[in-house]
Amino acid sequence: MEVLAVVMLAVFTVGYLVLAGADIGVGMLLPVLGRDQAERRVVLAAIGPFFLGNEVWLVAAAGVTAGAFPGLEHHLLEGLFPLFAVLLPAWVVRDMGLWLRGRVDAAVWRGGCDAAIVAGSWALALAWGALLGSMLVGGGEAGLNAGSVLGLPLALLFAVHGAGFARLRSAGAVLERARRFPARYGVSAVALVGVALAAGSRLPWSQVVSSGTGLAATAVMTAVLLPLLLAAQALVWWTFRGRVDSPSYL
Amino acid sequence: MDDPLMLARLQFALTAGSHFLFVALTLGLATLVAWTQTRATLSGSAVHARMTRFWGQLYVINYAVGIVTGLVMEFQFGMNWGGMSSLVGQVFGAPLAMETVVAFFVESTFLGLWIFGWGRLNRWLHLALIWVVTLTAYMSAFFILVANGWMQRPVGYEMRDGVAHLTDLGALLTNPTAVLAFFHVGFGGLLTAGLFMAGVSAYHLFRRTAEVDFFRRSMRVGLVTMAAAVFPVVVFGGMQFAYVQPTKQAGTAEAVAAEAGFAARFGPGDYQAPGLAAAGEAVMTLVWSLLFLLAVAALVKVPFGRWLVRGRIFHVVVMAAVPLPYVAMLSGWVFREVGRQPWVVYGVLTTDEALSDVRPGLIAGSFVVFTGLFAVLIVVNGWLLARYARRGPDGARLGAAPPSDGAVPAALTPTF
Repeated sequence: MEVLAVVMLAVFTVGYLVLAGADIGVGMLLPVLGRDQAERRVVLAAIGPFFLGNEVWLVAAAGVTAGAFPGLEHHLLEGLFPLFAVLLPAWVVRDMGLWLRGRVDAAVWRGGCDAAIVAGSWALALAWGALLGSMLVGGGEAGLNAGSVLGLPLALLFAVHGAGFARLRSAGAVLERARRFPARYGVSAVALVGVALAAGSRLPWSQVVSSGTGLAATAVMTAVLLPLLLAAQALVWWTFRGRVDSPSYL
Repeated sequence: MDDPLMLARLQFALTAGSHFLFVALTLGLATLVAWTQTRATLSGSAVHARMTRFWGQLYVINYAVGIVTGLVMEFQFGMNWGGMSSLVGQVFGAPLAMETVVAFFVESTFLGLWIFGWGRLNRWLHLALIWVVTLTAYMSAFFILVANGWMQRPVGYEMRDGVAHLTDLGALLTNPTAVLAFFHVGFGGLLTAGLFMAGVSAYHLFRRTAEVDFFRRSMRVGLVTMAAAVFPVVVFGGMQFAYVQPTKQAGTAEAVAAEAGFAARFGPGDYQAPGLAAAGEAVMTLVWSLLFLLAVAALVKVPFGRWLVRGRIFHVVVMAAVPLPYVAMLSGWVFREVGRQPWVVYGVLTTDEALSDVRPGLIAGSFVVFTGLFAVLIVVNGWLLARYARRGPDGARLGAAPPSDGAVPAALTPTF
């Protein structure tokens, strides 16, 4: 049961890093990919339909952690409190920038939202880099360590991953700019999976796992529902598979 | 303000309280939007399609702020309340996992599809999406209230080596403090959204809008929803008094006995709920009475459409009443949660023991950051809701055709 729960948590965490990693990366590169506010809106249209469905992977990962590995929640969140205290506000600021940008028709408002998206995406990527680095170096001992700094270059991996995504989704001038990056979505995705699994393998799973009914209910329910969740996501990927050259709701 | 326990409690109260404000409207408004879209899809009528877009726009604005406050809350359990995950996490974590995997994942994925798939998807599929979003939103509320209900009245667990273990999932899921609270909150959400819809419509009718048909229909839907919800709210609220904790009402014989019992088991301390809980109860009851009177007046008026359009005093009353369900919700929530003190999980774990072993400076720092952020979010949300509500149906951007510059959209090229 413990193995099943670890696999489920790995699926959601890796799913988040690969899928949301791309929209975080696009947010980081927003000023580079889109030269003016109108172009930036088209850049955002590339991630628009996806970012909401991408971040739910992390929410589900947090849920599986709470249900199956309550000790890990304690271990990571309390041990790496300062990193989460950066990660969460960054997430909120970035999301609000995305949601609200198209709601007021004024250059100042759009500029402010663009700044929120870019700053939030960078802070989010740096926090993830530091988080993964701390786990890689610290392993069983959660806390800030040398890895917290060594992990910072990982943020660039998110940016490259975002460029790879933009190469698949955008068109015209935005696509030309994305092509200047030596980026391939598949390659950066594999790299993100590798980092996540390496960091995960260092955690003291047997010390943090739940037991009995609580663990079984969480692990089995998640495994049973996983195909349905994947189908829901596949419907989104299929619907918005084309390249974008015009603004969307955001 | 240098007491980390008080700061952490206040931070959680502000996070959960602001989240709750958005959720109440989201739950009810999703239902009303789904209902309106059903009518639009079945009849093909233009006014219902426009109503779906206008009210859907307000729903989406509100949802976006609700989701980020919810995200922060999920992580705050682990950050500020580490003692909770180590001692009771094996029970408390299960409903949280169910909420994210069974409900929220699908809700958010399909909401994105609903927003961005407007005009791209088959209309029946598009309608099915909003119903799935609504249904999963209610499931989400249910699982969260299972977790919260267990904090109020722990069942289905046993303590082994000082750690709570889940023994009976069925008892956890059918805990009366969870099930009754779910219906109480669900109808409360409908009441909130119904009055919101009626209040916005009243504003436009008061201003003698040209969109009379649009807002008369909306006002009727809002008032009927509100009037239908007001009684179930009090019934499911009242039924919960059978399970209310003895220490919540100070001075009774049960309270004194329970306090003595806690002192014997856990050592001397103050086991009486703060007076704020009783104040919350009083405000909630008072506001509900006002809403009940308004519901009676609404029921008299609803059958007469012209009366709805012209009754200017009634318009003002309905507009003024829009905040009332929020006041009732928050004060009822204070009654429930403050009345649980000094316990996180009643009779099992105190808030003091649950507090994370984190430097007080960090807790204070995160308090300042999150409180500031949420204050901005609430103001921005209120301002945007008012702005889009005031603009009327033609201002809705949701589901609008993309602004084209005369360019023909390129053909779809599959990329993955």
